[in-house]
Amino acid sequence: MDTISILPPELIRMVIAAIIIISFLFLNAIMMGYAERKIAGHVQRRPGPMEVGSHGILQMVVDGVKLVGKELLIPFNVDRTLFRVAPLLSFTPVILPLLVIPFSEKLQARDLNLGLLFIVTMGSVNVMALLVGGWGSNNKYSMFGAMRAVAQAIAYEIPILLSLLAVVLMCNTFSLKEIVGAQQNIWFVFLQPVAFIIYVVAGLAETNRAPFDLPEAESELTAGFHTEYSGMGFSLFFIGEYTNMFIVASVATVLFLGGWHGPHLPYGEYLGVVWFLLKVYFLLFLMIMVRWTYPRVRFDQLLNFAWKYLVPFSLVNLLITAVVVKL
Amino acid sequence: MAKKPKDYKEDFLHQGFDANRTDYNRRGYHLEVALNVNQVRKFAQTAYDLGFYIVFIAGLHVRPDEEQDKRNSGLEVVYQFSRYDQLYRIKGCVSVPNTHKIPSISDIYQGADWHERETRDFYGVVFDGHPNMKPLLLAEEDPDFHPLLKEEEKLKSLDEVSWPSEIPEAAKKEAEPETGR
Amino acid sequence: MLESEYQEHNRFFLNMGPQHPSTHGVLLIVLEMEGEYVLDPQPVLGFIHRMHEKMGESRPCQSFMPNTARMDYVCALPYNHGYVSLIERKAEIEVPKRAEYIRVITSELNRIASHLLWLGAYLLDLGAFTPILYGFDDREHILDILESITGSRLTYCYYRFGGVYQDIDDTFIAATRAFVKRLRKRYSIYEKLVTKNIIFIKRTENIGIVSPDMALRYGMTGPNLRGSGIAYDVRKNEPYSVYPEFDFEIPVGEQGDCLDRYMVRVKEIEQSLRIIEQALDQLPDGPIRAKVPKNIKLTPGDCNFAVEAARGELSYYLVGDGTSTPYRLKVRVPSYSNLSCLPELGRGILLPDLVSILGSFDLVIPEIDR
Repeated sequence: MDTISILPPELIRMVIAAIIIISFLFLNAIMMGYAERKIAGHVQRRPGPMEVGSHGILQMVVDGVKLVGKELLIPFNVDRTLFRVAPLLSFTPVILPLLVIPFSEKLQARDLNLGLLFIVTMGSVNVMALLVGGWGSNNKYSMFGAMRAVAQAIAYEIPILLSLLAVVLMCNTFSLKEIVGAQQNIWFVFLQPVAFIIYVVAGLAETNRAPFDLPEAESELTAGFHTEYSGMGFSLFFIGEYTNMFIVASVATVLFLGGWHGPHLPYGEYLGVVWFLLKVYFLLFLMIMVRWTYPRVRFDQLLNFAWKYLVPFSLVNLLITAVVVKL
Repeated sequence: MAKKPKDYKEDFLHQGFDANRTDYNRRGYHLEVALNVNQVRKFAQTAYDLGFYIVFIAGLHVRPDEEQDKRNSGLEVVYQFSRYDQLYRIKGCVSVPNTHKIPSISDIYQGADWHERETRDFYGVVFDGHPNMKPLLLAEEDPDFHPLLKEEEKLKSLDEVSWPSEIPEAAKKEAEPETGR
Repeated sequence: MLESEYQEHNRFFLNMGPQHPSTHGVLLIVLEMEGEYVLDPQPVLGFIHRMHEKMGESRPCQSFMPNTARMDYVCALPYNHGYVSLIERKAEIEVPKRAEYIRVITSELNRIASHLLWLGAYLLDLGAFTPILYGFDDREHILDILESITGSRLTYCYYRFGGVYQDIDDTFIAATRAFVKRLRKRYSIYEKLVTKNIIFIKRTENIGIVSPDMALRYGMTGPNLRGSGIAYDVRKNEPYSVYPEFDFEIPVGEQGDCLDRYMVRVKEIEQSLRIIEQALDQLPDGPIRAKVPKNIKLTPGDCNFAVEAARGELSYYLVGDGTSTPYRLKVRVPSYSNLSCLPELGRGILLPDLVSILGSFDLVIPEIDR
C-alpha cells in the first residue's frame, strides 16, 4: 500500500489510459479491417467474408492469428536494423496522438494546451517510417514507394496545417478540449466548409489511402514500400495505417463536427463518446467508399493537385477567416 | 469508302517487279511478287509509298534447287502487305542465298523489326542492317538453334508446295498460269 | 527482379515483369529509367513460347484445332474461326448457312467477353478495384451460355471443318437474348463508374498517342488502330462468313490516345450486341456441318485467311504440300504488331503512363509468344 501512495495519481491515470488506448487501437484495427472488407465486397457486388463466424465477424481475428504465426522473413541484403525498426516506427508514434484526443467531456488522457500541434507533428513522423522501411528493404520497388511517400507527405502537410489553422484562428487556442467546447452552439463545419473538405482530402493523402495510395500502388510497384515485409511487420504497418486514418477522422470530428456534442444522453460527460465515435466512423465509412470507387491518380497529378489547388485554396480560406475574425 | 477499288499490279510492274495477279478466293491475296535479294528494299519502299501496312514476314524451308544449289540455301522469306482503305493483299517472296543474309526493311517498316528477329530465330536468316539481331522468342543463350528448319527427309522442293500451272479451261477463274516462286 | 546497374548518377534499369500485376501475362519489359521517367522500354518476349507453328507442321490439320484456342485464350473462338475458314478455303469446302450464323453469334459473344475482361483488367491497373468485378459478373453469363453448347469456358474447340460441332437449341437462343437485354441495361453503370470518372479521364487523356503513320509502319490493327481514326475492320473490309448480311458500324476515335482506344472498345460491345441480335433474328434452319472427308488433303500451294479477333487482324498463312499435314503454318497475331511499337511510343514517359498505355493496348502475351 505504501508504494502505491507514493506514485502520483497522474501517472497511474496515464498508464491506465495508455493501456486502454492500445487495446482500443487493436480493436479499432480489427473493426476497420472487417468494415473495409465488407464494404469493399458490397461495392463490388459480392458479400465479402462470410465463412468465419456468422457473416465473417471473426475473419480479422483469424487473420491476426495467421499473421502472428508467420515467419519473419528478413531478406538477404537488407540493412537489418532499419528493416526491423521500420514497422515499429510506423506503429508507435500513432499511439501518442490518441492520448490528447477528447473522446468525451471527461474521457481524455491528457489535455495538452498544444494538443493540435502535437497531433500534426506525430503525423509527420509516420512518413519517416515509410522512408526507413523502403530504404532498408534494399529493393528498387520499395525505394520507389518510399520516395513517392515522402514527396506526397510533404506536399499534403501544408494544406492540412492551413485548414486547421483556420479553425484555430476562430478559437484562439490549440487545445482540443477547448475547441470542442467552442462548438456548443454551432459546429465549425458550417462556418468553415472549405477547410473541412480540404482537410479530409489532404488527410486521405497523408495516410496513403486511395485514390492517393501511390506508395503502395499494387499494379505498378507490386506493393511499394512494404513489398518485403511479411507477417507481423506487415500487420504493424497496417495497424499504423488504420490508426492514422482514425486520427485523421477524429481530428476532423473534433475540429469540424462538434466532437462529442450531440443530443442529450444520461451520464453525458462519459457517454458523449458514443456521438464522437459515430461521427468518426461515419467519416471512416466515407473514406473506405472512396477507396473502392476511384482509380489512382498519377504522381505528378497528385503533386499538382496539392500545390496548385489545395494550397492556394486553403491560404485564401485562412486569409478570409483572419479578416472576418478581426472584424 | 465509295472509292473505286484500284488494282496495284501496274504500280509494281512499273517499278520493275515480277508481279502476277492471283485468284483471291482461292489464295487469300491479290498480287504475288517474286523478288530478288536486291529488290527487297525497293519493294518495301514501294509498298510504303503506296500506303500498305506490313502484315507479317515469315520463313519457309524447302529443298534447294539442284541447279542452283550453290546459290540457294533452300530458305524462302515471305512478306505480306495489305491496305487499310481497300482490300488488297500482296505477297512478296524471295529466295535466301547461301550466305543466309538478306537486307532488312526495318528502317522503312519498323514493325518488320520483330518479324525479322523471329524469322532469324526460327530459320537462321540474318537480316543485314537490322539494329538488334538478338533472339526474340527463343532463348538468348542458344542463338544457333533453329527449330523450324526441316530434316532432310521431310524437305520438299518449291514446286511441290506451290500452286500448279493452271490448265487453260480453268482460266475463266481469273487465275493466271503461274509457278509460285 | 532485383538487378540494378547505375550508369549515370540518376539512371537505372528496372525490370517490369515477368511476374507483374500489370503486364497481362508473362512479359518482361526492361526499363531504363531516370527518376520516374522511362527512357527506353524494351520488351523481352519468349517466356510462354510453345512453338505452335512447329506443332502445326507436325500433325494433321484437324489436330491443330485445340492449339488455336490456346494462343489467345481470352478470345478463342475467332482463332478457331480463322483456322477452320483457312482450311475450308484451301480445300474448297462449302459451309452451311446455319453453321455460319452460329459461328458469328458465338464469335461475337466471345468478343464481348474479351472486351469486358479487358475493361476490368485495365481499370485494375489504374487502381480502381471495382469495375473488374462488375465486368466479370457480366462475363459469367456469357461463359455460361457458351459452356452450354461448346462444353468449355475458356479455350473453345467448337468449330469443325465444314461447320460447328453441336447445334444450338432454344435455351441458348433465349439465354442469349436475355443477356443482350441485360447488358444493354448495365451500360449506365459502367458509364457512371468509369467513363465519366474524372480521375480515369485524367489518367487516359492525351496519353500514348498513336499517329496513323506510326500504325501503318508497325502494322497495328484492331481497336488500337481504330482509336487513331482509321476505320479498318476485317469484318467490313475483307468480309468473311456471313458478316456482309449484318448492319453494324465501326467505331473510330480521333486522336489515338488511351481514352480513344477505351471508347472504341466500349462502343464495339454495343455493335457486337447488334450483330448478335440480327443473327438471332435471321437464323436459318438447316444442317450444321457439311460432309467433309476424314482426312483432308491440302493441295499444294499457299493460302491466307484473315479474321477480326478482339485485338485486331488475325491472319493464318498455310503452305500445303498434298498431304493432310500443313507444310508451313504461320499465325500472324494482332498483339505482336501492337506491342512492337512500345519502344517508340514509350520513350520519355512516366511509369504510370506506361502502365496505362500497356493496358489500353489490350495485350495477351501468350498470343504474342505463341
